[in-house]
Amino acid sequence: MAEISDSPSTSKPVEENTQSLTPQVDPKATRNTKPGIKRLIISVSVLVSFILGFPLLWKSIEIYRAPLPFDRIDSFSSQVEGNPLSFPCRFQVIFIGFEFKASHREVGAAITRKMLDLGRGGDCGGCGGNYSVAVAVERGDVGAFDFGGKLRGGDEDADEWVRSVVSEYGGGNAYSVVLVNEEGEVRSVVGKYRHAWIVGRVEEEEAVLRVAEIFVKVFVNGADEEGSVRSEFMPVGADGKIVLSFSLLNADPRDWIYDWNFREIDETLLQPVIEALQPLANISVESQVLYHTPKSSFSYWDDKHGSHIFTSKDLPFFVNSNEWHLDTSVAAGGRSKVLQLVVYIPSAKECPLQLKLPNGDISKTNGFISPMWGGVVVWNPQSCIKDLESKDPVRSTISPQDLRTLFEVLLGQLRQLLGLKSDNLYVGESGASILLGSERGFTEWELDVLSRKHICFNLLSCATTLGSLSRLVQSLPRMIIMDEIGKQVKFSLEAANFAQSNASIGIYDASAVSSRQSRSLAEDAFFHPSIMSISYYSFEHCFAIYSPFFLPVTMHVLLAALREWKRYKQENMKYLTVKTKAKVS
Amino acid sequence: MGLPPKATFPLSLLLLFFLFLVLSTSAQQEEFSEELLLKPLPDRKVLAHFHFQNEAPLAADSFARHHHLFPKSISQLVQKFHIKAMELSFTQGRWNYERWGGFDPISSHNAKPPGVELWAVFDVPLHLVDASWRNLTHSLSGLFCTSINFLESSTAYSSPEWAFQSALGSLRYGTLPREAVCTENLTPWLKLLPCRDKAGLSSLMDRPSIYRSFYHSQRLHLTMSSAASDGSRSGIILEQTLTVVLQPNDQNAGMSNVGEIKIQPSWSLSSIFGRKISGRCVLAKLSNVYLHADRGLVAQLETSQKNTAHFATNDTGPEDFRRNSGFELSVAPKRVLKELDKSSSVLYEYPIKEYKDIEQFDLGLMWEHPIVWSSPHAPFYASRFLVGSGNERGAIAISLKSTEMTQQLVANNIEDSCKLQVNVLQVVPWYVKVYYHTLQLLVDERPQVLTDFIERMRVSPSEDKVSPGMMELVLQVPCAMKSAVLSIEFDKGFLHIDEYPPDANQGFDIPSAIISFPDFHAGLQFYDKSQSKSPLLSKLQEKSPVLSYTEVLLVPLTTPDFSMPYNVITITCTIFALYFGSLLNVLRRRVGEEERLLKNKDAKKGVFLRQVLTNLSAKLRGKPLESTPSVSSSSSSSSSSFVSPKLILRVLLVAGIAIAWQYYSQ
Repeated sequence: MAEISDSPSTSKPVEENTQSLTPQVDPKATRNTKPGIKRLIISVSVLVSFILGFPLLWKSIEIYRAPLPFDRIDSFSSQVEGNPLSFPCRFQVIFIGFEFKASHREVGAAITRKMLDLGRGGDCGGCGGNYSVAVAVERGDVGAFDFGGKLRGGDEDADEWVRSVVSEYGGGNAYSVVLVNEEGEVRSVVGKYRHAWIVGRVEEEEAVLRVAEIFVKVFVNGADEEGSVRSEFMPVGADGKIVLSFSLLNADPRDWIYDWNFREIDETLLQPVIEALQPLANISVESQVLYHTPKSSFSYWDDKHGSHIFTSKDLPFFVNSNEWHLDTSVAAGGRSKVLQLVVYIPSAKECPLQLKLPNGDISKTNGFISPMWGGVVVWNPQSCIKDLESKDPVRSTISPQDLRTLFEVLLGQLRQLLGLKSDNLYVGESGASILLGSERGFTEWELDVLSRKHICFNLLSCATTLGSLSRLVQSLPRMIIMDEIGKQVKFSLEAANFAQSNASIGIYDASAVSSRQSRSLAEDAFFHPSIMSISYYSFEHCFAIYSPFFLPVTMHVLLAALREWKRYKQENMKYLTVKTKAKVS
Repeated sequence: MGLPPKATFPLSLLLLFFLFLVLSTSAQQEEFSEELLLKPLPDRKVLAHFHFQNEAPLAADSFARHHHLFPKSISQLVQKFHIKAMELSFTQGRWNYERWGGFDPISSHNAKPPGVELWAVFDVPLHLVDASWRNLTHSLSGLFCTSINFLESSTAYSSPEWAFQSALGSLRYGTLPREAVCTENLTPWLKLLPCRDKAGLSSLMDRPSIYRSFYHSQRLHLTMSSAASDGSRSGIILEQTLTVVLQPNDQNAGMSNVGEIKIQPSWSLSSIFGRKISGRCVLAKLSNVYLHADRGLVAQLETSQKNTAHFATNDTGPEDFRRNSGFELSVAPKRVLKELDKSSSVLYEYPIKEYKDIEQFDLGLMWEHPIVWSSPHAPFYASRFLVGSGNERGAIAISLKSTEMTQQLVANNIEDSCKLQVNVLQVVPWYVKVYYHTLQLLVDERPQVLTDFIERMRVSPSEDKVSPGMMELVLQVPCAMKSAVLSIEFDKGFLHIDEYPPDANQGFDIPSAIISFPDFHAGLQFYDKSQSKSPLLSKLQEKSPVLSYTEVLLVPLTTPDFSMPYNVITITCTIFALYFGSLLNVLRRRVGEEERLLKNKDAKKGVFLRQVLTNLSAKLRGKPLESTPSVSSSSSSSSSSFVSPKLILRVLLVAGIAIAWQYYSQ
């Protein structure tokens, strides 16, 4: 606008200028006066003010983007993916009745070497690569015999007894193995707490191997064979909640109707498990009975087994998502993980229904799991003959014994879903070990494994979420990013750092809490409503709004400045030549 | 003490048995029942009313966690949002109060306004009610696949106090008149039934025939049942109803010749639904089908029977009811219920359980000769319309017209003091700015003083973009009144461009007004011997005020051209650019120099053509030809450049580029 207001004052001198120029004889070739620079100044100043104004305009139409710490996110995710989180673990071996020539330190070193051979411990949620094993040796045959006798008794009693022995050696949270050298066959048992014992005639070499295997395969990795359930998947919601939704499906209520006394089983069987898993996740239980829910796969009659058979190939089609209205829970928040545990009662025309394993055997549990979704168990009524006499179907309740075995299977499935073994025998390279089950469903060392994996999974998913958020934000340069998202990202990174530092000291609980927090904050940021909304204001839109003004005006201004500059140069040349001529003449 | 030990043993056994019985019944209290009521309507249509009831005990520890029949999602909703009572209805079509009746329980319970209607009563402190409502709307929209979440904003709901469902507490009420209802809403609704539509009466619900109907309304009603002893809440009752008005295909359309009176079409379940009932839902405690002949029809039948003198008295076996003079039923009913009144309606009961010998239950009704009757009407027939034209202002008028019912009342009451109470609830959205002082009442087409008729009035004025306006009225009108018109004026407001819905030119809906007559109770009093607990029968017998909804109004508001902002931007930008460009040109123009140049040019090539052109242009402008070549017009300069070969070359180049562009873009 400044140029416009100036115009009347500048126009007058222009006229004067032209008048002064008119008496020139030959304006084409020569010029006597110095060319005027008023027009040049005007057009250049307009151009300059435009160029200066452009950043202001750019600033005014800029979209608010909270600064996100992209480099910190990148370094965090590369750190989490590069060197997986590892926890300090202490190991302890107590030899009873062994005559070692070597020193304790050498035995410990031998075991450590063996452990490193068995597994590098590089997995996420492992114990790291640098194991340290403390060794204690109790000499004397009498002691060994005495010990052996006690350990050969009931496993439950032995477990308590070994616990007291281990605590004598000062092993509070350390993983311990007690080896008793004694006559008789070798028997190896892993207890409910953080210890195991081996009784029998064991050579020293073999003892070292066995101890190392129990440490690495059982205590560190949770006796989990490769490939059963991938350890990255931990079915815990971002808010640290799991909803166990139990459903009893009556495929066809016209044949029979079964009901269950769920409340009783909830109180007796499920509550201890929920309490045991409390540090890992907040678990709630709900149940329902559904009717008219046929499976969607086919089964065939098999004379050999005397039952209808469905094979493991049918499993992907077994769950009938059209008819099984298992539903997500309304009571649970949006972030909770719902695990469906389903008991399927076949109809009369497909009863008894059995699952055939790929090796041709009939499955003992008659159920299967689907990772991150839940598990299904098929339960066949006692007699599969429909009472044709009465038109009304028989209403009955599943007997408490049956229900108990059913729920044991379901809890086994839950253990598998969480990434643990469902049976109580571990077969390693050096021999089998019995895993002692806890009445709470989960032993202490298993819970350790789970919480290590849980923390690691949380940090991993936090890293991937933040990584994809930063990629998304960088790929859309005109997306609004609220301050809140920036804050959430910052807090998430802080919580993740806190979890990592706690984990390296070995404080599981605090680490679990802050890792969960970091994951949920990362997801909060990623699923923030402002990102989901359509407030993304595209560059094309911006261009379409501003181009009707700026395109023609810029043309004018640029051309004017260019022409004036050219003309000035030309006229100046003429003037200079005239001047030099005059000088010469 | 006096009992010998021999006797105590069986006695204790018996006691134990009883104890067991009591225990087992208390544990199995979740009950489900399914019922279907069929009713021929006077205008050749058939009403089918499905009624499902699900009851669950409200045990504190396991409620909303463990259920056997009751839908888990609903109990979790109740638990989470502390719902005391709730009703959600999805309706398509409009209930025809004139033809289908307005004085029976079905019309006052199940005739609903088009679209979605939701009300809920919460058991939370007053300041939390709105938050609960908002959460509930979101949960329900997820559950039922609808946009109930639009009821979340405070402009969409109101809290009537006494004109509607009074004495329940903190109530919130909202409607979405434009919500389209279709099968995606029915499927989640069916999912709440234990048998869904796999078995039982719900297997009749053939989607094409339901959605082809004249009116259908699916409803979900939640209430707390209270224990008889202390009145405390003992359980929760979920009532699901589907009301359909269907036109049966005329089976003997070919036989009835032209010129005959419009005969009632005969129908059967299979002809109206295309399906038969192939068995009951085994989980239901009760599954009955009822056929209801209303008062008018029964009265007509009786008169025709008297006329033909075939009246067999006191032979009330079920077989006799199968054939009466008016119509014939294809299946004999197990029970016939008559109303206690003199002119009474008749209900035929068919428990599906007892028709085992028939493979598929297919109830049919054959008319023997044409009968004309009418359904009972509400005391006043309510309708609502818009007055005025233009996009600026208008008025809403609610008219009440007396029906034969009030005329009867007048005939019975000789004194003049007879008064009728009418409650009106009207909710208007904020962009319809109602002036409450313009409320006018015309009784029998004469303007009246409002205070003479209005007993109570509560107005909560609308607040722009915050809350809708609501008016609750209690009117006392004389029985002898023929008609009444309530009218109120309004201004049409302007909305922000963001607030217009898609397809804004369709207009905006004003939700139905609710007119209720608390003096009248729609309830059928059946003489019920068997004391069977049928939820549908008890619902029919329940005394509830007569209620009717008016039409939804469509108000056209001024709608902007939605591309306008961009047009404005473009045109202002263009003007600015023109102004700016010309200013810049003026600033750097050298008038004297240009003139000199032109002079030289003209002197050099004074071509004949150019001379002619300048003459022509001067003539065209009506100016005298200036012979002095020193003053040349700009037009001549432009014309001189017009034919220059350089320009032609440029034009050709641009044309070539355009052609190439066209060619490649195709």
